[in-house]
Amino acid sequence: MARQLKITVDYNVCVGNAMCETFAQNTFGLNEDRQSYVKDAAGDPEETIIEAAENCPVTAITVEDAETGEMLFP
Amino acid sequence: MPATVDVHDDIFAPDVIKDPYAYFGALRAAQPVRWNEQYRMWVVTSYERLVWTARHPEYFSSEVALRDNQPPAPGIPEEDMELFGAVRQWLAARFTQNDGAKHKEKRKVVHGFFTPKAMETWRPLVRQTVNDLLDELQGAGRWDVMHDFATPLTYSIIAGLMDIPESDRGFVKELSGRMCGFDGNDPNRIRDYAAGVQAVTDYLAPIVAERVREPGDDLLSVICKGEIMGAYTRDEVLANALLLLVAGHETTNDLIANGVLAFAENAGQFDLLRSDPDAHVVNAVEEALRYDSPLKSVQRVATQDVDMGDGQRVSKDDRVRWVIASANRDPAVFENPDELDITRNPNPHVSFGSGVHHCLGATLARLEGQEAFAELARRYGGFELETDAGALEYLPSIGQRTLLNLPIATR
Repeated sequence: MARQLKITVDYNVCVGNAMCETFAQNTFGLNEDRQSYVKDAAGDPEETIIEAAENCPVTAITVEDAETGEMLFP
Repeated sequence: MPATVDVHDDIFAPDVIKDPYAYFGALRAAQPVRWNEQYRMWVVTSYERLVWTARHPEYFSSEVALRDNQPPAPGIPEEDMELFGAVRQWLAARFTQNDGAKHKEKRKVVHGFFTPKAMETWRPLVRQTVNDLLDELQGAGRWDVMHDFATPLTYSIIAGLMDIPESDRGFVKELSGRMCGFDGNDPNRIRDYAAGVQAVTDYLAPIVAERVREPGDDLLSVICKGEIMGAYTRDEVLANALLLLVAGHETTNDLIANGVLAFAENAGQFDLLRSDPDAHVVNAVEEALRYDSPLKSVQRVATQDVDMGDGQRVSKDDRVRWVIASANRDPAVFENPDELDITRNPNPHVSFGSGVHHCLGATLARLEGQEAFAELARRYGGFELETDAGALEYLPSIGQRTLLNLPIATR
């Protein structure tokens, strides 16, 4: 059983580049302001979600272990 | 229809080139989405409308080179029209000139090179290059920011990232200079540009052929891998290599020169940066980007009729140009928008655009800006303009905010 992730998008920073959606399309989508939102924190494998966060050009996405609070990215 | 606004349409007028903030600010206050009859395009000047436009690429296409069927404005000689068609085809091969899924696929080839984490690995090289250049200028007292520091720095970095052979760099710099800095009013600009493109392409073609066969980890090889994985044709490899070579320095040098000018005119803000460069430099670069953005405006083409609000209706195939220089000074978003404030935070400027076409090289521009301004702040007490501020000349371009010279004396 994969661990649960807590994924956060900083809306002061997100520019709607949509790279997160490109890399992890089952996890991220774009809301009506065309900024990223988490549609399913378990939508993709953990490494795919981390890769999506790494590819955010403005580091708007943080990924934590939901249970322990351990920071997985950045 | 809203009342006609008493603002002229001549976006190349000398006063608009010199001070775009007054002109576009007046437009924004009067009519944030406005039809410019002289250049037959919509001009979007409010922050809110700009972000909305940039984030709706399905209405506003980036396939500008192919879709914009209007004659060049200002006009060019009739005999250059065929060449103009060839230039459009060539420009269309850039990854940026795509929409939707195609754009994603083509951007993804180069995107990984520019992630914040990947870009950090280049910080030591940028720091070293900044120091080498400033060491050479040590004791000079008077120098030109554009020619002696900003351009050599940003060119050297992009040539290093692309692993252009050291011995060729002077030559390539001269060649790529032929693709930059065009006077938007010059009727001969298309043939000059085409000649520059041809010269750089002729130089790069054999190197590209070699790196498609044996790619390394450099940026040019990353572009070549696009061909290996089937995302780019050879023409696209060459067009994107030229795009990144030129875009990789001709905008960041504006960031550095415009920033030094802003600090020369706002000595108190430079003193604040000097008081603790490491603490202030990240926000200082964001503010320099906002205050006098390297790119003033960007063009799209409407894919369908679009209601822009306030009774303004864009028609399919219309040119739409959004003005960064105006949105970044929009008082609806930024307090005291005409003041340079390096502590501004958050600072949601749109100097890199917004949405799916957000500038690929933003991380590189930030890195170079941070290293340059931090080191300038460590070394110098301030800058005096060596000319009357009113005598500074800018490239007559609607897109770029480019100083032709920036002579200073250092303190």
